[in-house]
Amino acid sequence: MTKERNVGGLRCGEVLAGLSDYLDGEMSQDLRANVDVHLAGCTLCERFGGEMGALVASVRKHKEALPQSIKDRLRLRLLAAREPAN
Amino acid sequence: MARHDSPGDWAQRILPALPHLWSVDLSCESQNVLDDLQLLKAAESDVAAFDLVMERFEAPVFRFVRSLVRTQEDAEDVLQQTFLAIWDALQKNAGPSQKGQKSAKSWVFTIARHAAYRKGRRRVGEPGEYAALPQEGLAALGAAAGWGTEDDPETLFAQLESQKEMQRSLALLPDEYQEVLMLRDVEELSASETADVLGLSVSAVKSKLHRARLKLSAIVRREGES
Repeated sequence: MTKERNVGGLRCGEVLAGLSDYLDGEMSQDLRANVDVHLAGCTLCERFGGEMGALVASVRKHKEALPQSIKDRLRLRLLAAREPAN
Repeated sequence: MARHDSPGDWAQRILPALPHLWSVDLSCESQNVLDDLQLLKAAESDVAAFDLVMERFEAPVFRFVRSLVRTQEDAEDVLQQTFLAIWDALQKNAGPSQKGQKSAKSWVFTIARHAAYRKGRRRVGEPGEYAALPQEGLAALGAAAGWGTEDDPETLFAQLESQKEMQRSLALLPDEYQEVLMLRDVEELSASETADVLGLSVSAVKSKLHRARLKLSAIVRREGES
């Protein structure tokens, strides 16, 4: 960080430390309000917070479907395991 | 600078391509926890219910174990071992309900994780694998992730659009970061569920997740530049 600022009663480093809690909605209302004030007055933190938010959103979309061939082989394996019990 | 009314306004301005970012809830794709437990309970005596268990968990388990083992073939084997273990446990009435567990997801992913570590010839919590990460300062991690720079965020966003690039970047994360990121952000387990799977405290999960995200951001940036 080129120069940490103190905006909204929070330093940039404190905003960085709490960024995931902020993104996940796991921050107290009071602290969240202070972070909002900081973000409104600090372009660097606002920009970085947006990037991190985009990163998290992108990771959450990363849900590959399971190929049918793997599903089929799983069922065959389980079918074989079930047979002695039936 | 204009004062924003809410985080949503902030997202709208800085992330035009992702207008609903701030409405993304970690539980948005989570099924009802009670339903999952009931499903596993039903699968103890009902084969059709077990088929539903497979449909419910096979893709999430495969994605998770694929991040822990070396090859696709190993991941498929671990997937099968996981469901064989689930089947055996349910047949013995040793499912999550009998174990007093509150989350079916925690139970399933814990079984999957142990199966993956056996396949990878690693043991859960084994020293040297899990305690090897240096505790980088948060400021240094943040700086590598782009904190405090004036780069154009569009560059990073373009990089994130490609699933292939995302997969490659995820694979470059240290193991313990991959695990927490897969469980929390991809499979959307709660912090408490993730803590149960990893054998960590909730605060340790949160700390590790934050570092994992910063590290991933740094990797995405680095890969984008190379």
